[in-house]
Amino acid sequence: MKRTLLLFVALSALVLVLVGCSDTSALETENANLKAENEAMKAENEAMKAQIEEGMAMLAAGTLPMGDGESRLNTVRERGKVICASRDDVPGYGGIDAAGNNVGFDIDLCRALATAVLGDPSAIEIRLITAAERGPTIQSGEVDMLVRTVTWTSSRDAGWGNYAQTMFYDGQGFMVRADSGITDALELEGATVCVTLGTTTELNLQDFSDQNGLGITVSTFEDTDAVVAAYDAGQCDSFTNDNSQLAALRTALSNPADHVILPNTISEEPLGPVVPHGDDQWFDIVKTVMAILIYGEAYGVTQNDVPSAATDNTKVDRLLGLSGAFGQEELGLSETVAQDVLKAVGNYGEIYDRNLGPSGINLPREGGRNALWANAPCTDCPKGGQIYAAPLR
Amino acid sequence: MDTASRLLSYQGIPVWRHVQIIQWAVQIVSGILVVALVVWFFSNMVNAIQDRDIPSGFSFLSREYQTPIGEHFLPYESSDTFLYALFVGITNTAIVAVAGVFLATALGIFIGVSRLSSNWIVSKLAMVYIEFFRNVPLLVQLFFWFYIVLELPAIRESFVVADAFYLSNRGFSMPWPKATDYSIAGIWLGLAAVAIVAGWLVYRRQSRMEEQTGRSGYPLIYSLATALVIGAIAWLILSFAGGSSPFYISIPEPQGRFGNIVGGFTARAGLLVLLTGLVMYTASFIAEIVRAGIQSVGRGQTEAARALGLSPMSTLRSVTFPQAMRVIIPPLISQFLNLTKNSSLGGAVAYSDLTNIAVTMTQTAPAVSIFMLIMASYLAMSLTWSLIGNLYNRHIRFVGG
Amino acid sequence: MASPPLSQPEGMLPPRSEVGVIGWLHANLFSSLFNSVLTLVSGALLVTGLWFGLKWIFLAADWTVIAELGGRFLLGRYNTEAACEGQNCFWRPQAALIMVSLLLGAAWGLRGNRVARTVAWLVAGVSAAFAFLPYSLETMGLDVRILLLLNLPAVPLGWALARYTPMGTGTRVTILGVAIFFLTLILLRGLPAVPFLQPVSVVYWGGLSLNLILAVGGITLSLPIGIALALGRRSNLPVVKVLCVFFIEVFRGVPLITLLFMSQTLVPLAFPEDMPQNSLFRAAVVITLFSSAYMAENIRGGLQALHPGQAEAARALGLPGWQTTMLISLPQAIRNVIPAIVGQFIGLFKDTSLVYIIGMLDVVAIGRSFIQSNPEYLPSARELFVFLAAVFWIFTYGMSYISGKVEDYLGVGRR
Repeated sequence: MKRTLLLFVALSALVLVLVGCSDTSALETENANLKAENEAMKAENEAMKAQIEEGMAMLAAGTLPMGDGESRLNTVRERGKVICASRDDVPGYGGIDAAGNNVGFDIDLCRALATAVLGDPSAIEIRLITAAERGPTIQSGEVDMLVRTVTWTSSRDAGWGNYAQTMFYDGQGFMVRADSGITDALELEGATVCVTLGTTTELNLQDFSDQNGLGITVSTFEDTDAVVAAYDAGQCDSFTNDNSQLAALRTALSNPADHVILPNTISEEPLGPVVPHGDDQWFDIVKTVMAILIYGEAYGVTQNDVPSAATDNTKVDRLLGLSGAFGQEELGLSETVAQDVLKAVGNYGEIYDRNLGPSGINLPREGGRNALWANAPCTDCPKGGQIYAAPLR
Repeated sequence: MDTASRLLSYQGIPVWRHVQIIQWAVQIVSGILVVALVVWFFSNMVNAIQDRDIPSGFSFLSREYQTPIGEHFLPYESSDTFLYALFVGITNTAIVAVAGVFLATALGIFIGVSRLSSNWIVSKLAMVYIEFFRNVPLLVQLFFWFYIVLELPAIRESFVVADAFYLSNRGFSMPWPKATDYSIAGIWLGLAAVAIVAGWLVYRRQSRMEEQTGRSGYPLIYSLATALVIGAIAWLILSFAGGSSPFYISIPEPQGRFGNIVGGFTARAGLLVLLTGLVMYTASFIAEIVRAGIQSVGRGQTEAARALGLSPMSTLRSVTFPQAMRVIIPPLISQFLNLTKNSSLGGAVAYSDLTNIAVTMTQTAPAVSIFMLIMASYLAMSLTWSLIGNLYNRHIRFVGG
Repeated sequence: MASPPLSQPEGMLPPRSEVGVIGWLHANLFSSLFNSVLTLVSGALLVTGLWFGLKWIFLAADWTVIAELGGRFLLGRYNTEAACEGQNCFWRPQAALIMVSLLLGAAWGLRGNRVARTVAWLVAGVSAAFAFLPYSLETMGLDVRILLLLNLPAVPLGWALARYTPMGTGTRVTILGVAIFFLTLILLRGLPAVPFLQPVSVVYWGGLSLNLILAVGGITLSLPIGIALALGRRSNLPVVKVLCVFFIEVFRGVPLITLLFMSQTLVPLAFPEDMPQNSLFRAAVVITLFSSAYMAENIRGGLQALHPGQAEAARALGLPGWQTTMLISLPQAIRNVIPAIVGQFIGLFKDTSLVYIIGMLDVVAIGRSFIQSNPEYLPSARELFVFLAAVFWIFTYGMSYISGKVEDYLGVGRR
């Protein structure tokens, strides 16, 4: 606040100087009284300045509505909509379907949140952004949640916003032409590699090249259509991205069979939703909603089969708000929030299958890191992975 | 009532009708309003920065950038600082701007003159060119060129001319002088500058002599000879002293298993696309400016020149153009400014211009500070163009009398 | 075969080489050796260009992507279930279009203006022609087609309105125009309280209509701001002058793309968090301010070009300063810079394609979004961009053509 006041004083001084120096052609007059008048004006100005300063002091003391007046939950409920920043350019994660709806894994996470706080999965507004805009967008506080395949890194956690939960474990890989005969990323010496602008993949690629002395030349593109077209036409020798997105985009190439994804994974890319800094309640709500999706699958609660009466499983009952609680009241959510969410969008596994799995871009889940943890209670779900959340109790 | 109106009057005129007082009031009110608005914005911003732990400040400038930059003309490594990377971005934008301005002006003048050609088909072709490129958004044109460049052959099937010029969908490579030793090359460049200054002095002296005595002074020949002789002598001495010549010509050639071109100078696809797009787009505006400029010169001027026996080309060069310049320059400069600003679309076609690099930087550095820096950079560039424009304007006005 | 004219005038006919087709060819294409070479070279260029261009357009190119996109090019996702839940909102942009036809009809009726007549019938005719697009009735319903056809009667209705009612003055039609612009915005945005005007979030606005709204709104609102800035810059009040110069130079010196980016990332920080905000509104404000800076310079140019005698005469007649400006200087200055303003409008219309940077799906972005969401169409990117170029070209060329006509009508450069 001190800085604000200082700034204000400096600026008003500037205005005073400007006003004071301004007796030029406009004020040609032979009247000697002018000078006195000028002085009076200055005094008046001084008084006004004092008044404004007083106003500023009031602002500083927080007596006027500024910034942190309301919790985000209330803002969202008043607005009647959850605003998520996401994408429309990668099928599976975020795209636009034939009917003009936003669809994808990331979009479904936003729908789950909207169901939890507003009871309506369609009460979302998707702000489409490019990769490079993600940081400034979540910092601006204008969106309630950022779900745009955002890798969780410590500096982003510190500078952008809070990461709620890893919803997808990815790793960066490379795609090359099959006829190039390359079988390992270390053979990419002197290659030109296409990459999307403003992503961790860009940074990891630099690390990888420096580390192994590969001297890779980089071509950075703003958008997916351009980078895919450039790689397809042979403008680069390789295309690097998160492995899952490579798999999704490979289908977009003119002849997918001519391209292979190298076995190397050069980075850790935990992807998950991000919320703006400064509102713990909202942060906790998002974490809880993500946990509901994961435990929904772990306890075998599916979209079409959400019990509304008590079952013989205490954990399921607690999850669905049929007995006990897991903090719904403290978070400002309804008792049966999990019922609503699971009915509206399904559990984690269903969201995965719909967008990334068999009905989507067909990324295998079985045996990978995105299966549930090894001893998850469900019977026929993929296990042995890393999808795990804080227990709901 | 009476006292009130006396109190509220100045020089016998009620204050609300006194011109000076109204003017003062307007200034003070507008000044205070603007200041209050700015203060309000800033205090909100400071609040938000504190509330949401948004990074701010400029300490990042000395940190390592550690991010790749696709195309760079200055040597750049990932261990360089943010400040240097920003400078690389400014250079990239400046290079596209300067190259674009020269090419667009040349093409624009060509098209503008063609538009006025007496040849029907040439004039109509120029018109089609102008109407097409002027009326389609630059972004769409850039993508158009982007896909055209993708149609070029892959790197292994490049068009090759004389084993030295390569054109593929990755870019265009050509031989280019490279410094053997940076210090020797630097010394020679310094001496070359001296040679140019000397040549210029000789040119001035000879042309003054020509004006005063009326005898041919051959200023161009003398000055070129002076500059070349000094440059060559410097070259020879440095070559003997250093054991090798200051510069050598580096020939591009494909290397490695990917056949990427090494050596020479390579304008990569992003630069080619951006430059082509900017030049074709801006040239259409410049052509119209040139046409209007030429048409502004009175018919009598041309007719008189033709009557004196000047060829159409000489008429254009020595009579019409110098006069048209005065009309052409101000809008031309604003086109240069537009071209510089439009180069910010480079990111869409994989050219690392200033905006592109700055936007990437917001990933790892405070966005607020980055935007202040890039606004300042663009304003500095636009002021530079205005300055050049004003200087040139003064110059031609002086010559024209 | 034809018998020679009976009354052949005295003297000889001009030589064959000077008249008719041959004469024209000689004078315009082959007047000298240099000219002949030029003709042959550029002719060859033209023929090859046309050959390859036409071959590509008719044989190689696959235009299904355009047909698939259909109405989304014009309206973005406005008419989707997500945008307008439980209602059919398609009638709203169509009603707006009918109002525009009505307005153009009124402009025609105003003074029997031929330009306005051409434009009005063109807009209404093209809109009505859309009613006969070969889509199935499920894709494009009967109601949609009827509403499109209603554009045709709207023109004569507007004409009659201007002719036979007290609406027929320039001021009133102008006010009607401004009213229709805001009514269109309200119609598209919706009102929470009105049952049949369910609010449609601006993220679903898009397509060419978004470009047009941004450009029309930008140029209209930038006119008063630009005038104020131009007057401020010429004023002899130092504070006002400094502020105006600062504003103009900053907005002219920085690329629009940077300003748009900042409008989405920095501007929200400058307002209290709980203040309702709207990304499209902010983009529109930035575009307007950007345009105002250019408008200010145009108008300043117009003011500078005025002979000082005009203002001096007005002052001599006893007009106060502001009346001199408002009634004498400004009207003349604005009329003189109409070509520049139209040029700026065209530039602004083209620049609205930059809103892709802030995630608005304008006509360019909606096409790109479509091919990215449906990767099977990624190879059709070339067709997409050629089509977009054609769409923009038709609009901008049309605008400059109309502006030429309007200039003739107003006698710009003749008085």
